[in-house]
Amino acid sequence: MSLRFLDLARPSRQHWLGYLLLLPAVALVALIIVYPLFVSLDLSFQKIGMATLNAPRKPFTLDNYHKLFTSPDFWNACWVTIKLVVVVSAACFVVGLGTALLVNNRFKGRTLARLFVALPWAVPEVIAVVIFAWIFDSSFGLMNWLFIKLGVTSQMINWFSEPTAAFWVVAITMIWKGYPFVSIMTLAGLQSIPEDFYNAAKVDGASALQRFRYITIPVLMPVLGVTLVLVILWVFRDFSIIKVLTDGGPLKATQTLSIMTYDQAFGFFNMGYASAIGIVTLILCVVASLLMLGRKSQAMY
Amino acid sequence: MERTRFQSFALYAVLAVVCGILLFPIYWLFVTALSTLAEIRQLPPSFWPAEPQWSTFTKVAFERPILLWLWNSSLAAIGSVGLSMIVSVFAGYSLSRFSLRGGRSLGLFILTAKMLPATLLVIPLFGIFRSIGLIGSLWSLVLAHATLIIPFTTWMLKGYFDTIPRELEQAAMVDGCSPLGAMFRVVLPVATPGLAATALYAFVLSWADYAYARTFLTNAQGSWTANLGITTMKGEYVTDWNEISAAAVFIALPILLIYLFLERYLVGGLTAGAEK
Repeated sequence: MSLRFLDLARPSRQHWLGYLLLLPAVALVALIIVYPLFVSLDLSFQKIGMATLNAPRKPFTLDNYHKLFTSPDFWNACWVTIKLVVVVSAACFVVGLGTALLVNNRFKGRTLARLFVALPWAVPEVIAVVIFAWIFDSSFGLMNWLFIKLGVTSQMINWFSEPTAAFWVVAITMIWKGYPFVSIMTLAGLQSIPEDFYNAAKVDGASALQRFRYITIPVLMPVLGVTLVLVILWVFRDFSIIKVLTDGGPLKATQTLSIMTYDQAFGFFNMGYASAIGIVTLILCVVASLLMLGRKSQAMY
Repeated sequence: MERTRFQSFALYAVLAVVCGILLFPIYWLFVTALSTLAEIRQLPPSFWPAEPQWSTFTKVAFERPILLWLWNSSLAAIGSVGLSMIVSVFAGYSLSRFSLRGGRSLGLFILTAKMLPATLLVIPLFGIFRSIGLIGSLWSLVLAHATLIIPFTTWMLKGYFDTIPRELEQAAMVDGCSPLGAMFRVVLPVATPGLAATALYAFVLSWADYAYARTFLTNAQGSWTANLGITTMKGEYVTDWNEISAAAVFIALPILLIYLFLERYLVGGLTAGAEK
């Protein structure tokens, strides 16, 4: 074989180089993401406690899925997940959009303000949990003091043993951690709107509200669509915040599908069953994002 | 657009209130770390410590394994960022420069990984790592974090390479450079800021992980990462919120500083990765 075969500089061979450069990433993704995904799918059809590769395959069964759909815990987890997705995404959007519009104004110190409104983005999730666990501490937490001071309640609330309260603590922590992403994305979108649009509209006599309604919102729509999908996926799949903050409790009030998957796999070592929950979660994620991306692309035309 | 004095004042007032509320948790973390235990346990709470207790930081650093945990987090991050950067520089370059048949599909194939729930992926990875003896080793995190990082870095770098004119390496090739040589000697040096921003973003992703560390490292205390370690402090020393806060400052500070100094680049990466 002549060495000319390896001469990738030749135009006819150039695409070889392209594939070659792509190969390591594709191979790695196949090995550590796609192959494990198929292992999960396979596990979900077996009655298996502990996953190992060298053990002989257990017989095919649909038991895991049957058990899943007849389990009240699963429907509870679905309900908790949906509640959390709705509450957290909606609030992240309100706060994120609001802050983005606020710092998009022209004023002195704008750069600094932009830096600050998105700062929680840079706090690792576990650290956000530490902060909010302390703020909502039942004995000396700031929130109890504030609630009493404001006259909302007369006695200390034990935030982590009361189902509704615990749900809101989780939601607030996630909102605080999640809104900067919306803020950052919206701001990037706002900055891509040429000033001329607004000037032209002003010449035509459009009011501030009209300019917002007919210029800002339509231009932002695609960005907001993608951002919404990503925020929803994030809430859907998040593990760290809930696991560390409430561990799914009290009385499963904060047990989402992710937490249930994890607890079944590593708390009770039902890895087959856990994989089935995980696969269902994945399908829900894919369906949700396809539905919304589909809507978005329709809105664009 | 001119504002009246009143409008300007209102704008700053709203801004101050909003920032005050949103940033308060971060402020409170620092205040708690600097307070004495007595100050923490008093009502009404003190919003500024009478005598800032800097010694809490040294105490936590030397009496708890926090430095070891930070070291482990750094090792895992360096490993996973290194691995991810190597493969995604090549992949991003390829996606940017070659219009390959099926290239876009392969790129999207890499991107799909972003959709997977970590709690699903962690089960088979646990089985695989157990079979090859990686449980308890930081190498398991290097590989697992690569699953988080590669989809982002590949597309961030593709976007970055797209902004560099092709004429640059064409000129180099006319001068006798090989295609790979042109990439290494001409494109990558020009792309250094982009590479640095991407690597920092990847570092943030690895640094923040908790799920994989909790699953793969629980049995080997010596290999715990910072995020894993601090959650055990929370259980064990429930009342010592000043010490936990000081440890939390150690963990959050590197990323906060990176963000404050390099916000532009990180934000650029965040928005670039999400557009796809």
